Formats: sequence, C-alpha cells, structure tokens
Amino acid sequence: MESPPRFTETECMICLAARLLEDRKTVFVGWGIPQVVAMLAERLYTPNLTQVFEFGAIGPRSLTPFVRGTMGGPSNVYRSLQWTTMNWAFAYAATGYLDYGMIGALQVDPYGNVNSTLLGGSYDRPKRRFPGSGGGNEVASLCWKTIVVLKHEPRRFVEQLDFMTSPGYLTGPGAREAAGLPRGTGPYRVVTSQALFGFDDETRHMQLLGVLRGLSAGQVTHGMGFAPLVTEKVEVLEPPTREELVVLREAIDPSRMIIGRDAG
Amino acid sequence: MKILASGESVYHWVHPDDFREWVRLHKSREATDKLMTEHEAVSRCVADGDYLAYDFSSLTRGPQALVREIIRQRRRHLWICAEFTLHESALLVGAGCADRIDVGFLGYGEYIGQAVVEGKVRVFEWTNGALAARMLAGARGLPFMPMRNLVGTDTFVRSGAKVVADPFSANPVCLVPSLHPDVFLVHVHQADISGNARIFGTNLFALEAAMASKKVIVSAEEIVDPLEFRKEPAKTTIPHFLVSAVVHLPFGAYPGGVPGRYELDLEQIQQLNAMETEEQVQAYLEAFVYSVRSHAELLEQKVGWGRLADMIRRGSIKEGYA
Repeated sequence: MESPPRFTETECMICLAARLLEDRKTVFVGWGIPQVVAMLAERLYTPNLTQVFEFGAIGPRSLTPFVRGTMGGPSNVYRSLQWTTMNWAFAYAATGYLDYGMIGALQVDPYGNVNSTLLGGSYDRPKRRFPGSGGGNEVASLCWKTIVVLKHEPRRFVEQLDFMTSPGYLTGPGAREAAGLPRGTGPYRVVTSQALFGFDDETRHMQLLGVLRGLSAGQVTHGMGFAPLVTEKVEVLEPPTREELVVLREAIDPSRMIIGRDAG
Repeated sequence: MKILASGESVYHWVHPDDFREWVRLHKSREATDKLMTEHEAVSRCVADGDYLAYDFSSLTRGPQALVREIIRQRRRHLWICAEFTLHESALLVGAGCADRIDVGFLGYGEYIGQAVVEGKVRVFEWTNGALAARMLAGARGLPFMPMRNLVGTDTFVRSGAKVVADPFSANPVCLVPSLHPDVFLVHVHQADISGNARIFGTNLFALEAAMASKKVIVSAEEIVDPLEFRKEPAKTTIPHFLVSAVVHLPFGAYPGGVPGRYELDLEQIQQLNAMETEEQVQAYLEAFVYSVRSHAELLEQKVGWGRLADMIRRGSIKEGYA
C-alpha cells in the first residue's frame, strides 16, 4: 500500500477549509488564503459556487496559477458574471444574498470574535500593527455564515482579544441582534490545519467539532487561552488527499509561495 | 434620533451645503481643455494638509505616477484614505508627506506597521465598506450614511461613527459621516482632454469619489476623441464636469498593472514589499522618485523599454477590458 501523502500545515488548513463550502451557494471571499481555499473548492467540490470579491467582482472563475497580492488583477477576476464596485459588492452581503463569508484572523475568542488589527501594548502604542479590517468587518457582520481560517497556533485562541476588529457572537446569545447586526448571522466554523470548531446553539461558545486523523481533542486544544466546548462525537478529519494536493501544487500554487515546501 | 454610542475618533467632514457651494464656484461645467503635466496637476490641485483618496489598488490601476509626483513636490500633512493600499502608505509616510491614515486596509508589511507603533503616523479605524459608504454619502449630497455593520466592535469604538436608534425599525443602526476628500486621484484606461473618463473592469468607488471630491486628477493610459464617449455612453465612468485636471500618463500605474493593457513589474513590486527599514524606504524614494523629474524620465531612465515591453507581453488577458 502506498504511504499517505505528506503535506504542509498550510496545505492542510486550505484543504479542510475547502471542504466546508457548499455548492450552488454564494461566498464572500477575503484576500489571501480564502482565495486559495475557494479556488480549490471550485475545482474539486463546488463548481457552481458563486464567489464575491469586495471590490465588485461577482462570480469570477479565477485562473491558475494563483497570482498573489493582486486580487483585482485580470487573472483573479477572469470570466466573472458581473464587474461592479465596492458599494454594490457589500450591498449583496447586506441584503442577505451571500450565504458564506470567509476571512483570516490574527486572534479569535470563545465567541468567534476576530482580531486582525494589532497585537500587544495599547491601541495608541501597539506592539505590532497589522492591516486592520479591510472588508473583514463587513463579511463577518453581513454574510449568513462566516468561516474563519487561521493557523493552528494555540496562542491565537484567546479569552480576550487585543482588539475586536470583526464581530463573532460578541458577548454571547442575542448580543449581535442587540448591537444591531442582521438577525440570524454569525460565525459558523473556525478551521485550522488540525481542528474544526463550531458554535454551541445555546451558549454561542466555541465548540470542538473535529480533529485531524491521528490527533486527540486534548492535543489540538492544548495551550489554547480558553477551554472550548467539545461535541459528544468528535469527527475525524481526513488529511489532505492526493487529489487535493495535486490541484494545490500543480495547478493553483506551483511556485509554492502560499502552501510552502517542507513536505518535500 | 437618539444617539446610543459614539466612536471616539476625529474624522474629515464637510457640510453638504458647503460642498455644494464649492461645486458651484469651483467645478467648471464647461468641457474645457484640462490636459496638463503631472507636475502642473499636482501643483494646482494638491495642497499641504489635504485629504487624499485614490482608486483602485497599489498593484492594479493605481495612480502611482501621481502619487510619486506628490512625493516629488514634497506635500506635507496629508491625510490619506487607505483602502487597497499596499506600498503607497509606506512611501507617503516615509517621504514625510502623510501623517494621518484612515483604514480601511493598512498596507503593508513591517515598515508601515512600525511607523504606527512609533507614532510617526496616526491611524483612524474604519472598514473598507465604511469608507466606501462615506464616499457614497458624499456623492449623494447627504451628511451621513446608515450601515448595518461596524456596530459591536472595537473598530467602531476607534472610528468616528455613531450608533442611533433607527426611527423606522427602532433597532440600533450605524451612521458613518459623509466623506468629501480634497483631492481624488484616479488612473483610467481612457480619457478625453476635458476629463470624460472610462475604466474597464471593477473599481472601488471611482464615480462616488469623483463626485464627492473637491478636486479630481485623472491620469490616463490613452487620450481619446471626445466623440468616443458619445458613441458609447454606457461606458463612461466619470463625466468631465467632475474633473479638475487630466494627465496623459502611459504606464501611469507602474509598477502595478492596468487590466487589459499590461501586467505589473514583479521585480519592482517584490522590492517594494520587502521594504522594512527607513534606509530601504529612503533608498527607494531616491532611486525611483527624487532622482527623476517626471514619470517620462522614470520610464526612460530607470525602467526601460525592455521591461515595459515585457509587462505588455504578460498582460495577455484582454477579455472584458474594452
């Protein structure tokens, strides 16, 4: 029997995230890793998924190889259904047309609130400053189900964010609606290279749903800044398949700028 | 309307009637010849302390030649609206031109992050959508725009937005103040000498910002006959009476690309993305901005035809960009 394929952390994160999207739906795709996730999903699982980019590319069929950085360049917005502008792209989200949203994060808290603005220090004198919301706040506020994709580093899961850039369930049940966010929206999944989390319907607290094959619930949550709930029957997440890795390595990112090389 | 919460940040705001009066007095309705050099356009339109917005992104159809001219003319205390900004922030802050940034998206990398940490530049939190909504309010002649998001977050707290009880639904709703930039820079595919302009492909808020800004500089890859606009009016992005100055700048988005025309200069972009230290930023400014007198000189002396031809060759996707 062939030995299972080796893969990088980033490859695993991208593959696990790609399996979460649903065909014949719409997804608001954030800049960077979410673009790669959506490209992989479109090629293997969700050929009829309509992607939306914040600057007004609706339904692009992005070309491979993936061109990093220039989300608005011709190969990323290739054969869209519509080219419009930012106010209209966000209007699709605000009126409920966008089923999923996918964004990255520096930190996430037990209610799925997201920090992408700064780390450490104070607001006026942070230790490190990052890009901030971009369109992340819109995505996390307005799409029906938000998926957060981040590296599996336990220190990124914190009880208290250094800055809340984009809303999850805020302080718990009912808090989004009370703040004025659209009814029925919120974080849906948090996915890393080792674990999949959802949110408990009653408490809106983060809940471990799945772990990568070969790891235990204790291993993946070790070192996290809070204890997530753990679902009764934790799902085993299969590692990246050969097919997923071939598409990632040969079509999407042959230079391995995004996915990395350490798998050899 | 009852104010339920107020963000604590200062914000740039102009009363709608004051803006209308500016339009009445200073924006010509006549399709006059506004073609001029980038030196002249920036001299006339950009002053110290101005609020500056631009479209589209650093890498795609950005008004990079105009930004370099602003740096060359050493404007001071600019306040910039950063949406799809990668390296302009680093260059404008590094050159001492900008000291306030509305984000949006604060691009990019170590240098600009460190500039915020060190207090070299002040940052005000918004979101891409909030800045676009502010621009839309400006373009509609309204004092503010309601929006459903921003609420509940630290981004709101550090913005200049307010939450009020919506008089129709009674639910909390966020209000963002209208934005009237002093100057809007936009690089387009085609323009005529009076400022009618066409963008092919997506844009952030080119029409909104052109309407909402006091002064608008259009730089264009190509200057076309005014009759072209009347033949295909659905393709007009910006009509002339919004525009203050027109500059013919082929490769005006360099080192970024223009969709349908040319791809970006990867080597130059990588050099920009790798800038971390003050020395690197100053060296870049010296090599590509201060040491030449114009965009044409930059292309002739620093870039060269071989590289430009390669950018055109790689820009092979034409579909949709005509």
